[in-house]
Amino acid sequence: MTTFFLLPLPYLSLGLLALLFGAVFCSPRFPSFNRRRIALVVLGFSLVMFVLALLKIQVRSVTAESDPWLPCFSTDAIDGLPLVVFLFVAILAVCLAPRRDIRDRCLSGIFLLVTGTTCIYASNHLWVVNLGWWLTCVPFVGAFFGRTEDHKQTSIALIVSAILLTLSTIFLHASHWSNVANISQWSLFFLVMTVILRKGIFPFHSWTLRSFESGPLLPKALLFNSHLGALLVARAQSSGMSVLDHPSLEWLSILALVTALVTSLRGLIEKKPRRLMAFVCISQASFILSGLLATNAEGVMGGMLHWMVVTLASTALIGIVRILEVRVIDVADPTVPLGLAVRAPRLAVFFLISGLALVGLPGTMGYCAEDLLFHGVQDHHSVMGVALLLATAINAINLMRLYSVLFLGVLPKNVIEVPDALPRERWPLTALMMILIVGGLYPRWPIALRHDAVKSIPLRVNDLPHHEDGLH
Amino acid sequence: MNPSLLLFGLLGLPLASFLLWSCFWLLGFTWPEKIIGRTVKVVYGLMFLLFLTLCLQVYQNPQHAIEIRVGDWFQLNHYEYPLAFQLDYITMPFAGLTILLSGIVASFSVTYLHRDPGFLRFFLLLLLFSFGALLVFTASSLDLLIGGWELVGITSVLLIAFFQYRPEPVKNALKVFATYRLADLCILVAVFLAHQWYGSAEWSRFREIASHQDGHEIPATMFSLIAVLLVLAASGKSSQGPFCGWLARAMEGPTPSSAIFYGAISVHAGPYLLLRAAPVIHQSLTATILLFFIGSTTAVLATMIQRSCSDAKTSLAYASQTQLGIIFCEIALGWHTLALIHVVGHATVRAMQFLRSPSMLSDYHRQHSGAGGVLQATGKHYDALLPVKWQRKLYCFAMFRGFHEALWERILWRPLYALIRLLVKIERAPSRHPMKPNPSPPPSIVVAE
Repeated sequence: MTTFFLLPLPYLSLGLLALLFGAVFCSPRFPSFNRRRIALVVLGFSLVMFVLALLKIQVRSVTAESDPWLPCFSTDAIDGLPLVVFLFVAILAVCLAPRRDIRDRCLSGIFLLVTGTTCIYASNHLWVVNLGWWLTCVPFVGAFFGRTEDHKQTSIALIVSAILLTLSTIFLHASHWSNVANISQWSLFFLVMTVILRKGIFPFHSWTLRSFESGPLLPKALLFNSHLGALLVARAQSSGMSVLDHPSLEWLSILALVTALVTSLRGLIEKKPRRLMAFVCISQASFILSGLLATNAEGVMGGMLHWMVVTLASTALIGIVRILEVRVIDVADPTVPLGLAVRAPRLAVFFLISGLALVGLPGTMGYCAEDLLFHGVQDHHSVMGVALLLATAINAINLMRLYSVLFLGVLPKNVIEVPDALPRERWPLTALMMILIVGGLYPRWPIALRHDAVKSIPLRVNDLPHHEDGLH
Repeated sequence: MNPSLLLFGLLGLPLASFLLWSCFWLLGFTWPEKIIGRTVKVVYGLMFLLFLTLCLQVYQNPQHAIEIRVGDWFQLNHYEYPLAFQLDYITMPFAGLTILLSGIVASFSVTYLHRDPGFLRFFLLLLLFSFGALLVFTASSLDLLIGGWELVGITSVLLIAFFQYRPEPVKNALKVFATYRLADLCILVAVFLAHQWYGSAEWSRFREIASHQDGHEIPATMFSLIAVLLVLAASGKSSQGPFCGWLARAMEGPTPSSAIFYGAISVHAGPYLLLRAAPVIHQSLTATILLFFIGSTTAVLATMIQRSCSDAKTSLAYASQTQLGIIFCEIALGWHTLALIHVVGHATVRAMQFLRSPSMLSDYHRQHSGAGGVLQATGKHYDALLPVKWQRKLYCFAMFRGFHEALWERILWRPLYALIRLLVKIERAPSRHPMKPNPSPPPSIVVAE
């Protein structure tokens, strides 16, 4: 079995090619009986390929492994696991998407988005990263997910972020291509701005919020959960760019914290489920940057684990809200609590578990992720640590508000029959819950999986005996 | 028998039952009430047997205490999350109460919740609560304690909203959850500060530092800050001081859950935390005074409010709060054994009172008919010693719950909402184009695919 992983097979190329084929075959020009099934097969194949690529580097105990066919793609400690998790949530999104969300060009759009994101993750070349970045803009600019007016802000934000990244790459290329540690000021500025814009960091968080407001939700979940801003920061750090040498990264960390607090507070007066969910997701996602930039092992590991938790849990939340929306019209803008737990108790439980995992319920992976993250951030800066705790407490309140609006209260008289989780929804959601719970009950497993990624990021050397950084 | 195996059995039984039932239910399996009821009774029976064996082992141990260290749950660099437990004279009464009273409540609820749509949900939450409470009482570090602490909190909130088809329980559950989260912030900050300053949040480490055994000079402010945070966290759990408003709201839940949570176990987690953290608290004069102040003021306020309550459960809730306030004062004065005895006595009596409260009217009539006629009220109360003018003023004060909620509104919520409104202005994103509903579904029922 081990020798199978060591075979020089082009896993990444095959996975990416499969995704491109998926984009073509799922377009409306190719009539097919069941596009969802085709999409799932293609995504499943890609997932297997990326898992094999990840196992290959783990079996060989190497830091990175280039693809034999396309050497500009490689798997390494930082991108390997997030790529697999992203493909898994893409499968989940396709499973959960209601029929109306995979009609026409929607599925092709999802495939383009996934292909672009995969390119960025798997690439070891900045120009290919740029290519992938532009590719992720195509489905929104090309109105694959509905009317252009609905995605105007999203498209603008994505295009501007792509332009900024291209500018950063040009400046980097012009100055010190080989060494990112000696990055020019302009290049760094554009890079930080790219991260701020793409990640939806304060004051540019409103486009993410708007993107959640209309149209099919699951492609937005994929866009949101690509976490390309966090990936750029992790990549920059692993290339030798340290927070200690570049104070602008410290500012990025502070802005992430401000985003976490502002969006959590804003959520307190929000009533529409989509917007409230968007606030919770944005707030929790901005913790990742604070963790990655904490310059100690606990913070970085916490950030890496939280990255996975946010990806998994927020996709489940978004998927469930969308499922409810297509079944009960009142979900879009409820005036009173809808009491759907009576008709859909399983969806209520899935929602509650994934939501509480997102805000760090003990026994889920979110708990250990947040525990490590808060320790790391508090060690880095005490006030920031307390502010993050405050933000997560408010997010938990917002989440319970959302839960009570959707699932508790009196069932409206017009809602007579609403199906609970269908088998195609129930099984993937159960699998996702199992990952969150098993990862929480046995956290050594996810920690071991991200160990090499944390090792590749430079950490602060502290000479206090019980706070000596660096991994054993 | 190995005590660690016994302890894992004790903790594992409710957790495994909860996880198994939840998974099967999520995948579409259901069971009749009879099977659920009998299984729960067997689980609590087994837990009680394991507890008795464990008690014997603790008693036979020369120190009357057992430390069980399994290793670390996870570890990174120098940060460790210890998986360590301790069984001693504080743990055993609390653990015993949890198992015994949860078992009694489970047995009571089989009949009480017969044919209720939330029958299975109630027992699942009860099992999760038992696991959480046992984790709180056996943990030998604050890290592990928080795990149980939050599980107890979330199960409590979900049980308050048990009758989800009524708007009031839902609203009150949310308010209780918000209060819990604010109070839990204190314990979380205390843990992180303890790790940052002392390198560990284990009780043994706190005791070492409190007695200056490790030779370090610990600044008094650090000690005070952690102690004050722990006092506030305990106040939140026990509905004391600034957090005293939530206990009456929690009465919306079913009576058995009120008995186990707000009469017996959950509210006594606060005194447990204080008893454990007593060495730290008593090192800080600020924390000790604060603890006494919180306990005494809440006791006075709650006893007044209790006298103005017109329904049985709310009256019992405020009576609980009064006793908890007195327990807080006892701990502040260093009377730990008395506090422990008080906790055990209060939890048992109050749980019984809560369980009897639905049949209070029937009890009343039975008492009178047993006495051979209507018993006349004596009319002799200490309140009568006060001038009538004062009696009226105090009655108004009690009727408005000590203006506690108005104070919170003025101090916290109004400024907070003003800040949020400012943020909205900055953001300039309050839907300029209101969200359009999805086009296709028909107005009423929608069964989709």
